[in-house]
Amino acid sequence: MLRKSLAAVVALLLVSVLSFGAVRIGITQIVDHPALNAVFDGIVKALEDAGFKIGTDVLIDRQNAQGSVQNAAAIARKFASEKVDIVVAITTPSAQACVQVITDRPVVFSAVTDPVGAGLIKQMGRNDSNVVGVSDMVPVSTHLRLIKTVFPNAKRVGVLYNPGEANSVTLTNMAKAAAPSLGLTIVDMTGTNASEMVAAVNSVGPDVDVIYIGTDNTAAASMQAIGAAALRLKKPIVAADIDIARQGGLIGFGFDYFQVGVETGKLVVEILKGKKPSELESHLIGPESLLLFINLDLMKELNVSIPQEIINRANIVVQNGQEVKR
Amino acid sequence: MIAILEQGLLLALAAMGVYISFRIVDLPDLTPDGSYIVGAAVVAALLRSGHGWVSSVFLAALAASAAGFITALISTRFKIHTLLASIMVMTGLYSVAIRIMNSPNLPIPRFSTEKVLSYEQIVGKTPLDDILGGSVSFQYEKEGVRAAIVPFNNRADGHDLFIIAMFVVVIGFLLWLFLRTELGTMLRGYGRNRFAVKVLGVNPNFFALMGLTVANFLVGLSGALFSMYSGFADVNMGAGMVVVCLASVILGEIIFGSREFAYGLLFPVVGAVVYQILLSLAMKYGYRIGFKPSDMKLLTAMFVVSVIAARRFKKSEVTV
Repeated sequence: MLRKSLAAVVALLLVSVLSFGAVRIGITQIVDHPALNAVFDGIVKALEDAGFKIGTDVLIDRQNAQGSVQNAAAIARKFASEKVDIVVAITTPSAQACVQVITDRPVVFSAVTDPVGAGLIKQMGRNDSNVVGVSDMVPVSTHLRLIKTVFPNAKRVGVLYNPGEANSVTLTNMAKAAAPSLGLTIVDMTGTNASEMVAAVNSVGPDVDVIYIGTDNTAAASMQAIGAAALRLKKPIVAADIDIARQGGLIGFGFDYFQVGVETGKLVVEILKGKKPSELESHLIGPESLLLFINLDLMKELNVSIPQEIINRANIVVQNGQEVKR
Repeated sequence: MIAILEQGLLLALAAMGVYISFRIVDLPDLTPDGSYIVGAAVVAALLRSGHGWVSSVFLAALAASAAGFITALISTRFKIHTLLASIMVMTGLYSVAIRIMNSPNLPIPRFSTEKVLSYEQIVGKTPLDDILGGSVSFQYEKEGVRAAIVPFNNRADGHDLFIIAMFVVVIGFLLWLFLRTELGTMLRGYGRNRFAVKVLGVNPNFFALMGLTVANFLVGLSGALFSMYSGFADVNMGAGMVVVCLASVILGEIIFGSREFAYGLLFPVVGAVVYQILLSLAMKYGYRIGFKPSDMKLLTAMFVVSVIAARRFKKSEVTV
């Protein structure tokens, strides 16, 4: 017994000696969610690619607020009071909580669609503050043009989203601003959980020509059911997120969240190398990193035709049940 | 430690509200899950439109108290159990909060921001432009937000703690005074015995209305202060409020044991602080024993149930 506890003490001492001088990174996210976990994995990948060893050079304290905004605030204050050197906040509420209380150390936000509207930074690009990060804003008007190009006869576009998600509301407002000049009408299709979303597809779906899904977390989580419901109505889904498109979408144009994480990780690496957040730029995922996904099987099943020049540009196609990267 | 006390005392205000509904008037009320958001939403909306924080906080708490009033009204008028009535109100308040904020999330910024632009405007070009037909002529612009003036500085230097503590002390004292008045005594009497107050010739429904109105006023106050403190209001803020507050009340009761009413208002206050300490310990050291933060909700629920079970076992008269 004594020997065991002695060994434990020695081990603990060893760990603390080894971790002396290591940089502590606190990472907080609002919920346990595949897309957000992909962001985390991307951050780790970027750190490792830059030569930092997790566990020795860099210690990561990962916290999850289990969907509670109160917990997000508690985590932010925990990071503020502890010796965490850099804070990475994934999602809007987690980032808002951190920015409020941490002013003396770098805060890197990620997967926040509208960091300016959320009050995190004054403007995109450089800011004279301790906050910098990556926005997961998607090109909404480009999506609408894509819809108009593929479906020239489309009039009504149903936007499927959760009205409780700030990111989705921003994107929907952008779609509403862009739609008139393309001769499109935006129809709200809302649900706050999986069953309400399917109900929205079933009830509003018949009245729309195309269903458009942004980076909505609720839709992402219930995509299998949404895809099946849309297929029954023979309505194509165009998604702003590749992961959403993979599960029942006809076309996807955007990024995957792993990439968002890698971009975030690169900012963290710059800070680890001595840069200040005020020397770095808050940015979104550049056009060169956007991927075009087309499900050719679904195209046949829905009996629609996509112009060949668009298919030629696809980075990922699904054909005969196989996903092919190009 | 200061941050934990701050959050504990913020929670204490809501816990006092839950103490009033569950313990003093003995009406199980789930409205707080919604009225907490209403408090947060109203204060955020008012602050952003340039109102001072004192009046904003008061109006926010008032709006939340209206929610409690409506729950009690539905319950007494249509003879529905408060539990069911409050679930209805709580569910409806989700939509109300989004209407108030005109968004699911409203920041209370400390600095003014520039206009919000779309992806294409920021990048300066449309991706896939060469293969897409049509063009978009729009300038998406959401006006930037003005800085709001709030009483908190978030420096954990005791300044915020002082303000929050003042709220708890003043509100606690006012409540204590009120509960000692004739009306307050009758309110407590209503909680003990529904028929006793009837004998006095007062409509018992009046006390249900009063109890839940006051209770949700406190919850709304807590929500309003919390959103100013954390810098934003979010429609998902209120989820699980009742359970957490109830756990706080029970913790307080365990710590103090059974005391007379004069100490009663201390139960939720001390309990909320202890709850917050336990939460932060779980966050800090929990991972060493394989405890995930997401287990906290199960633990809280199990705690509440086990305390109730233990009391039943002892054949105590106290019930939840």
